[in-house]
Amino acid sequence: MRRHLVARLWQSLIVVVLVTTISFVIIRLAPGDPFSYDAGNLRPEIRDHWREQFGYNQPVPVQFVHYVTSVLRGQFGYSFAMHESVSKALAEAVPRTLLLGGVALGLSFLFGVVVGVLQAVGRGGWFDRISTSTLVVLYSLPDFWGALLILLIFAYWWPILPAGNIVDSTLHDYLSGWGRIADRLKHLVLPVSALTLLTTAGVARFQRAAMLDVLPADYIRTARAKGLTEREVIWKHALRTALTPMVTLLGLALPGLLGGTLFIESVFSWPGMGQLAAAAISRRDYDLVTAVVVVGSVIVVIGNLIADVLHMAIDPRVRE
Amino acid sequence: MRKSFFLVAAFSAFAACSSKEGSQSAAGATGGTLIFASSSDADAIFPPFVTDITGRMLEDQIFDRLAEIGPDLRTVGDQGFSPRLAQKWVWAPDSLSIAFSIDPRARWHDGKPVTAADVRYSFKTYVDPKVGSPVAPTLTNLDSVSVRDSLTAVAWFKKRTPEQFYDVAYQVVIFPEHVYGNIPPEQLHTSDATRKLVGSGRFRFVKWDAGSRIEIVSDTANFRGRAKLDRVIVVKTDPATEKAQLLSGQADFMEAFPPDQIAKLDSNAFARALAFPQLGYTFMAMNVFTPKSKTVPHPIFSDIRVRRALSMSVDRVAMLRNVFGERGRLAHGPFPMTLGVADSTIHPAGYDTTAAKAMLDSSGWRVGPNGMRAKNGRPLRFTLISATSSITRGLYGVLLQEQFRKIGAQVDFDNLDPQAYLPRMFAGDFDAILGSYGTDPSVTGTKQNWGTAGIGGQNFFRYSNHTVDALLDSATSAFDPAKMKTYSSRAFQTIIDDIPAIWLYDLLVVNAVNRRFDTAPTRADGWWANLADWSVAPNKRIDRDRIGLAQPKP
Repeated sequence: MRRHLVARLWQSLIVVVLVTTISFVIIRLAPGDPFSYDAGNLRPEIRDHWREQFGYNQPVPVQFVHYVTSVLRGQFGYSFAMHESVSKALAEAVPRTLLLGGVALGLSFLFGVVVGVLQAVGRGGWFDRISTSTLVVLYSLPDFWGALLILLIFAYWWPILPAGNIVDSTLHDYLSGWGRIADRLKHLVLPVSALTLLTTAGVARFQRAAMLDVLPADYIRTARAKGLTEREVIWKHALRTALTPMVTLLGLALPGLLGGTLFIESVFSWPGMGQLAAAAISRRDYDLVTAVVVVGSVIVVIGNLIADVLHMAIDPRVRE
Repeated sequence: MRKSFFLVAAFSAFAACSSKEGSQSAAGATGGTLIFASSSDADAIFPPFVTDITGRMLEDQIFDRLAEIGPDLRTVGDQGFSPRLAQKWVWAPDSLSIAFSIDPRARWHDGKPVTAADVRYSFKTYVDPKVGSPVAPTLTNLDSVSVRDSLTAVAWFKKRTPEQFYDVAYQVVIFPEHVYGNIPPEQLHTSDATRKLVGSGRFRFVKWDAGSRIEIVSDTANFRGRAKLDRVIVVKTDPATEKAQLLSGQADFMEAFPPDQIAKLDSNAFARALAFPQLGYTFMAMNVFTPKSKTVPHPIFSDIRVRRALSMSVDRVAMLRNVFGERGRLAHGPFPMTLGVADSTIHPAGYDTTAAKAMLDSSGWRVGPNGMRAKNGRPLRFTLISATSSITRGLYGVLLQEQFRKIGAQVDFDNLDPQAYLPRMFAGDFDAILGSYGTDPSVTGTKQNWGTAGIGGQNFFRYSNHTVDALLDSATSAFDPAKMKTYSSRAFQTIIDDIPAIWLYDLLVVNAVNRRFDTAPTRADGWWANLADWSVAPNKRIDRDRIGLAQPKP
């Protein structure tokens, strides 16, 4: 198991290095650069002066060597979109995204597992049919469109929740401790709901399939024969086995969730990694784009590693 | 003998205004929070680096200039300018220097007095090549600034020009040496200090959460009187949702409400329209050279008859009404009507598709069996590029495509991401381009945009006519405003006659503001010119207006 883990760590490192190199090159191949943004009074000679000052007029390989050298020194560069060091911008944005993504991931697995189990138990029944149709509709909604729809309903037509931002831009700093917590929760509701709704469907489909595999098994029949209640059979015995593939799904869901936050954060003005990435790409903020991609890949790699470890811990066959 | 200017009357008026402000404050006339939903964060807010609208808006609230330009934006001499940091100024007899007396009451937001040394430091920073300020090229006539005494700064000029006062008073914003003076010039761009501003304006800086929000609050001890609003918060908002936030009352202000949806503001309970005629105009320029080339003539647009025909085939009035309804303003030529030297008697050739078709026929572009024109086997087909950052230009692109189709010209409209659009614009890599020029109040801006000297810079489609150059030179060196206008008009007419572009509309931005705000008059160079005088009546205030200026809870 230890050797397997070490090998996975090396693989992960190679993935991160490759992702860094590819993103570094691709963003530089895109038209424009950090100083080609639309500003009427910014003359070409000033743009050229700034390019020279920050080394963006040098060949890409030279820029790459400079970048790697500074990263090894612990400096990720300067963000022109955020007007601060890349490290500082990431330090502020990453926890916000993890909060949003973490809560949404937790809720979507909770709801997805429950719905999936209920669907499998009542296979072919009214709940299975209605919930399957609903989830398929949600699953096929584009993230951006779904989020906009939620925003339109709950922030504009029926304005009961804030339309965006992480806290109330004005009042938050002046609220009491509990008031601030309530304010944060209120602002979390819409983006988390959007992200949860769009992820739950996939989880539920997986859980339903896993349960349907387990329910006909001999040990389930034995459990029923022993006189256990149906609740105990389903939620204690069947679910425990049917959760194993969900651990793998948890690792795989992370990249999708990170991708989803990019849209959700933009729609709900949530100042996390998604919004940071959108701003960085549109401004060709080279250092920030590269750093966001690297951090994203690290999160995905860690997610996969955790899934691997959990899988090994749960399933003795993998350990062997 | 040049004028010396001692603004006793204006100063008295200001003093009266200040005392009135104090009584209003006591009566609760001040207060209110403006949430400005902005689709973009500021590019920079430290004056030498400001390039965008949000940055300029904030710069103008937090900092002061030596003198403030008048509402009519006159740029010749010092007429129309009113005191700001300088309470008076005296011209040297030879007009090669101006001595500015700093108002002794002026204080930086950290409490230190504003001095002449700050003025000298600001000028030095703007023109320092290591800084690379976008403003530097406009200050080439300024030789230096010296300090006569702690409250007198003398600006020295290389030569006498009609706009030398404007150059020094309008282009330069003063910032404190004791805060920024220790930062090496080449590090100012990335220094944390330039994100935490100390100014002297009626609002002071609170914080900038990059990519998220910027907050400024009223400077209650300001020597010009406190701002009537307590605070302004610029919140970065996704373009797709800023409208929803405004219409639901969660935000109070947004710039450039989509022109095709302005009618929604008339019936909305929260927001109303606030039209703002800008110093700018939009046009479709035709490249007379082959894309990317600087010498090879364009197969279509190098022929002035084709340019004229295309210009005449466009129903500019109908397009204006289609996009802006009744609110649009038709462009007259290479100048906005808000410019001081604008001439409303100038017009491009009128809409006449019959004449346009005849002109194309006579220049060899004949209609083929498919209804499209061709000449020597080459179809009358070209690409028109625009940037997605402008919804209005996008709408115009589609309308132009349809108008040209009617006379047998095929247009491929390419609406590009700004980062893809700008490099192509500067490289001349286009057949035709939809562009807007935002100008400064001076006719000098026209030289940069349409003069031969601007080629390689703002004159990105390389229009060149030496008659225009000479006329614009005469205009910018005329001390008599009437003569400046005459020369400018002749230059504008000559450009129109050359038809390098089709003039579409003057920039009229319809901003949207929450109905509870009483706004002050806007000015063509910025809707925010009198933002410090916006107010919210006590009976219209909502929770966020009543916070006051209390410190946030820890």
